[in-house]
Amino acid sequence: MFKKESRLRAREAFAMIILMIGVKISNTTPSLFAQTGANAMWLMPSISFAVILPSVLLLYYLLKKYEDKNLVELLEEVLGKHIGKVIAFLLFLIFFLLLAIEGRSYTEQLKLLYFPDSPTPFVFFILFAIAFYGAKRGLETMGSASWIFFFYIKASVLLLAVLIFRETIIERIFPLFGNGLKQLVVEGAKKASLFSDLFLLAMAYTAFDSSKKFRLGVLSGFAFVFLEMTFFFFLYCTTFDYNSIDKVAFPFHELTQYVDMGNFFTNIETFFMIFWLFAAFIKYMIYLYFISWIFGAVFNIKEFEPLILPFAFFGIIAGMVPENAVINELVFKSSFMNMITPFFVGFPLLLWLVAKVKGDLR
Amino acid sequence: MSRNLEKNTAHLKQLFSFGLNKDFSTREITARYSNKKIKLFFYSSIVNSTKIHEGIIRPLLEAKGENLNSIITLEAIKELTDFDSIVDDINSGNVVLLLEDCKTAYSVNVADFQHRGIEKPENENAVKAPKEAFTESLNVNISLVRKRFHDKQLIAEAKPVGNRSKLDVTIMYIKDVVNNEVLENVRERLDQLSVDNVRNIESLEQYIEERPYSIVSSLLYTERPDRASSYLEDGYIVLLMENSSACLVLPVTFWSFFHSEEDRYLRFLFGNFSRLIRLVAFLISLLVSAVYVAITNYHSEMIPPDLLLAIVSARERVPFPVVFEIMLMEVSFELIREAGLRIPNPLGPTIGIVGALIIGQAAVEANIVSPIVVIVVALSGLSSFAVANISMNFTIRISRFLFIFAASFFGMLSLTGAFLLWVMYLASLRSFGVPFLSPLSPNYKSTNDTVFRKIIKNEYFRPGQIKPKDSRKKG
Repeated sequence: MFKKESRLRAREAFAMIILMIGVKISNTTPSLFAQTGANAMWLMPSISFAVILPSVLLLYYLLKKYEDKNLVELLEEVLGKHIGKVIAFLLFLIFFLLLAIEGRSYTEQLKLLYFPDSPTPFVFFILFAIAFYGAKRGLETMGSASWIFFFYIKASVLLLAVLIFRETIIERIFPLFGNGLKQLVVEGAKKASLFSDLFLLAMAYTAFDSSKKFRLGVLSGFAFVFLEMTFFFFLYCTTFDYNSIDKVAFPFHELTQYVDMGNFFTNIETFFMIFWLFAAFIKYMIYLYFISWIFGAVFNIKEFEPLILPFAFFGIIAGMVPENAVINELVFKSSFMNMITPFFVGFPLLLWLVAKVKGDLR
Repeated sequence: MSRNLEKNTAHLKQLFSFGLNKDFSTREITARYSNKKIKLFFYSSIVNSTKIHEGIIRPLLEAKGENLNSIITLEAIKELTDFDSIVDDINSGNVVLLLEDCKTAYSVNVADFQHRGIEKPENENAVKAPKEAFTESLNVNISLVRKRFHDKQLIAEAKPVGNRSKLDVTIMYIKDVVNNEVLENVRERLDQLSVDNVRNIESLEQYIEERPYSIVSSLLYTERPDRASSYLEDGYIVLLMENSSACLVLPVTFWSFFHSEEDRYLRFLFGNFSRLIRLVAFLISLLVSAVYVAITNYHSEMIPPDLLLAIVSARERVPFPVVFEIMLMEVSFELIREAGLRIPNPLGPTIGIVGALIIGQAAVEANIVSPIVVIVVALSGLSSFAVANISMNFTIRISRFLFIFAASFFGMLSLTGAFLLWVMYLASLRSFGVPFLSPLSPNYKSTNDTVFRKIIKNEYFRPGQIKPKDSRKKG
């Protein structure tokens, strides 16, 4: 009964995109930014935002023009079957590698902070096992779960922001441009793939109740998460000073260890870790599901849900390739983020040009 | 049927094993109006004998008239032409009249099944609420519902189930509000039932539910007629049956199990306060033991030092691991609960004494468990009683063990994951097509009656998730 309609509305898209990108506030991404941006890193998301925004808008504009097409179908429609499939496969590869790298990064954080005695592959396995079972429940359930947990996750983050506020010193943002404006702009632009999840979510364009609600949800979520990210990076910059900010590996967890609630509850980091974990689990569920989806769409596999298990497995294998956490973060993650930025900036542009030349946009 | 009375009588007597079957009775009369023989057949144990005497036998013996209809004084006379329906009618408490030289039989309803009177609700207690509960009689139950909702569109549709013993399931709904797809689905499921006998609502629930292996029930079981009629009003469907002092409501959402009818009778603040308490009880009952296991085993740095010292010194002489300790107490608590339910009334106090002694004092003094664990388990057990609905109660009690297991495995990491998956499981369920967690997510136009409710004057809509034909309740 009632099978025709989709249960996914604007609010589900809103929650999903915020959880997917928002998780990056609390992982190692800010410390990556701090390597080059130093105390001005809170300005870097704005630069990334400015760089990626035209491409995002262009892509969503194209999706709107070619009604009832998801990302892969759009690629095939505009670029032809073969080139479209190649680009889509590239997308798949990029997101798969992101899954593996970020999965490893999470595992290392969890292991270092909470389970120092456990072997890395084992923590990795638990993380992905849970993500796998969640992804198996399907897109609608993931959307609902994102919305249900959204408030609690954001409430915990807000609480953290309130508690840390007395530790901050506003003057620490000076010099305003840190190591120099030019470097800031270049590095910020290089890391524009920070918002790459927006492209991944475009896969679900037709799965929603209406595409208008989807666009509304995703784009407002984008705006929200951008503001949230800037605000939190600002908090990091004002809590840790110029000298120490690039040495903090996990700024979010550092904050949670700083704060206390009165004299009795002094170690409340586990409390924040719970919500951080909720967000992380949901993010990997969405990732696993969408990666399998893109793969299925490229190779014409209609029933792609059985692919989730092998991709979860290969995700762990690929994630275990870097020798240690430092290499994973500073070499793989950093350079990979730089490498994929031109792709994400470029391919919507290419799509738009081809569509324009073909005359589809009139 | 034949025209020959003797032949029909013999056949019917054979069908009902007359003589062997002690309460199957027959009576022969010569009617005054036609001067012909008439035979009455009925079960003496399930009919009202005064009614037969006053309404059938006496008029037949004394009154003059054209035909049977003008003589018999009881409400309705049905004409029957085959033995199958005669048998059904006698079984359901009718008296059947066979006439000489006549191919039709007449059946008059004089059923008088024995049942309890209307009593107070036993399991869904409330302070500020009507005190009537359903009882084991279908007619009384329908009357209790109709009493609360006067609407010509309130339909009580009967659908027979059972191949051998036919009993009616009564589907109640409001015709111009209910969603037809759901209604059709219910009818289909009842039609598809192929079983000899469905005795009552409790077994019917298991016959028509969607996921027999699931941890969550997909129908709401309630003994309060006021609750049933408030659901009816919102466009839900209510199933009633003879022999059950309760009804089934469908489709359900999580919130139907979470709410109690009293929340709506209490004023806005009071009702929401009691819901808040219930939510806390719900979470405590579900998670407190698991969180204790996770924190003491894996995240002891989280506990403030003084409390940590208290816990450690209490555990000092206990030989078991925390998980084992918690499981021991949880299982004992479940034992007490199960035994307390089954124990004969005169022995009732024993269970209290034994339970309190063994679990409370002796176990601690013998260093089997630490006093803190007793507190934790007592808290979780106590809280589980605040979730009054029996189906949800079982869901929580079983889930609790899953969470304890998860927590013992990898602390908060696996506990958080288990809880997330548990919620996602709930979110993925549907009861008769309705998402189980709506209107929380997915959202529909409704009063958003989830954890908290609105002021009663501001409730403009019926719950949109069940897609009622008329979504506006007011204004």
